[in-house]
Amino acid sequence: MSLLSVEDLQIRFRTGDGLIHAVNDVSFDMAEGQKLALVGESGSGKSQIALAIMGLLAKNAEVAGQVRFDGRDLLSLPASQLNALRAAQIALIFQDPMSSLNPYMTIERQLGEIVELHEGASRADARKRALEVMEAVRIPDAKNRLKAYPHEFSGGMRQRIVIAMALICRPRLILADEPTTALDVTVQAQIMALLDEIQRDLGTAVLLITHDLGVVAGFCDDTMVLYGGRVMEAAPTTAIFDAPGHPYTRGLLRAVPRITEGDVTLSAIPGSPPNQTAAPRACPFAPRCVDAIPACHDGLPEFREGRACIRPVEELT
Amino acid sequence: MFNYTLRRLLTVIPTLLVLIVFSFYLMRLAPGGPFTSEKPLPPAVMQNVLERYGMDQPLYVQLWTYIKNIVFHFDFGPSFAQKDRTVNDVIVQGFPVTLTYGFWSAVFVLVLGIPLGIIAALRHNSIWDYTMTGLAIFSQIFPNFVLAPILVLLFTLSWGLLPGGGWNGGQWEYIVMPAIALGTSYMAGVARLTRGSMLEVLNAPFILTARAKGLPERVIIWRHALKPALLPTLTYMGPVFVYMITGSVFIDVFFSTGGIGQDFIDGAYSRDYSMLLGLAILYSLLTFTLNLMLDLMYAWIDPKVRSSL
Repeated sequence: MSLLSVEDLQIRFRTGDGLIHAVNDVSFDMAEGQKLALVGESGSGKSQIALAIMGLLAKNAEVAGQVRFDGRDLLSLPASQLNALRAAQIALIFQDPMSSLNPYMTIERQLGEIVELHEGASRADARKRALEVMEAVRIPDAKNRLKAYPHEFSGGMRQRIVIAMALICRPRLILADEPTTALDVTVQAQIMALLDEIQRDLGTAVLLITHDLGVVAGFCDDTMVLYGGRVMEAAPTTAIFDAPGHPYTRGLLRAVPRITEGDVTLSAIPGSPPNQTAAPRACPFAPRCVDAIPACHDGLPEFREGRACIRPVEELT
Repeated sequence: MFNYTLRRLLTVIPTLLVLIVFSFYLMRLAPGGPFTSEKPLPPAVMQNVLERYGMDQPLYVQLWTYIKNIVFHFDFGPSFAQKDRTVNDVIVQGFPVTLTYGFWSAVFVLVLGIPLGIIAALRHNSIWDYTMTGLAIFSQIFPNFVLAPILVLLFTLSWGLLPGGGWNGGQWEYIVMPAIALGTSYMAGVARLTRGSMLEVLNAPFILTARAKGLPERVIIWRHALKPALLPTLTYMGPVFVYMITGSVFIDVFFSTGGIGQDFIDGAYSRDYSMLLGLAILYSLLTFTLNLMLDLMYAWIDPKVRSSL
């Protein structure tokens, strides 16, 4: 049985402009210890999928479909049982370490309260665990920094603390929502290396949500590409990079600079992300697709053999 | 922290000096004086009176004597208008009264205003929220000079529950109505402010982090949201408490509590220079103390402020 199984997930938001169809018919499975990337540009609904798994969607959201974790349907779980899973079994790493830590609490308390809550640890034990986990994410001089507040740390160090928070209870699944986006490039690499190491030590499954294909390449076994809240392509990461099967994936890859290929002109995908106020009736990417044929504009493409495209791979440019 | 407090305390001295000098000259620039009356006094009598209060001296000498007396004898001088009373007497008698009901009024403002605001925020957009916000706006437009007569009308005249005025050594029955009349509109302000800031904090990313930890709602509110949500209220309460004390003039007059507000009014009418100056110094000291307390509380709540002190 898979650890996490998402089936036909739909997320809609009631807004002043009508219903926003943020996530449509998304299905995927994750095994224990698997590293899966969810790739998409901003607005593709990728963060909302993570929030839906945690049961943390905004109040104006409507969710349908199934999210099974270890056999239990998370979407219908009562709040108390969901709270028992959060951080203990499924942890979330947020994008912006500047705002996701409480500025009024010491690091020790912010880490310690998690083990106190989920494992009934005492203050002293919680402090010991906080220290351990701060050392695990390699915060220098951790012992003397337990009583420090978030503003006394740099961005990279804060993201290490956020990661420490996610692993303090050794969860089985970590949802990492753009964990490096807010950081400098050099710090990004350090953080990804840290995540990779921790993932290997704990055997935790990681769902990495990102817009950055470069981050995915070195880290994830499998990759899912989202567009307009819909899965465009899902395949092992190497296959995505070597033989992308969807025009959107190809477009994305052409927009990423690669050191190996010398002077290649980078190309942007023309057009802008789709308006999601109406339920999708056709391939959402069709209006921007270089390979689109008239048939693309009527009817949703079926998701088959890892891709949602009606055109055969050989015919794509 | 200790150095900071000391530094702040030392700045009182120059601030007070400037205040005294300015107020001293400003008051004397205004036409009239404590001994002007419709029927002028005979020049010989006037001369006597002026000599008695040292007003025959040049202004700078008067100012110097005034400051000297405060510094060396802690003596704020005799009242120019009230016979046989010194400013010290007036403050010693009146200030505790004003401070007492001002304190209880502040307690009323905080103990009612903060929970109302929090409840409204937690039940955002529910009937609770609307009722609370409506009531707050309604009571915020009630100035104390409208509310005080209404309270007396109800609690004294109709129901006979509370005495309509007086002080009687500060028994609680005599404190209730002055405290409520003084505090109600501020209480409404605190409720609305707390509601707004609580709503804002609950939308902060670090609250989402707290939820992702699996903490129950109660812990999220108490441990994570309350402190930051109270910061704006704290900022508001500092000056408000000063307004409450200095603006208690009407309450003193209406409820005959015998607080210093009455003396301040009388002093202004009769150009009682020493009384006005003495009370101005008292009010500014009060403002200063409260602001310092507020800043220290800020530092206690916000670690960023603490490390910058």
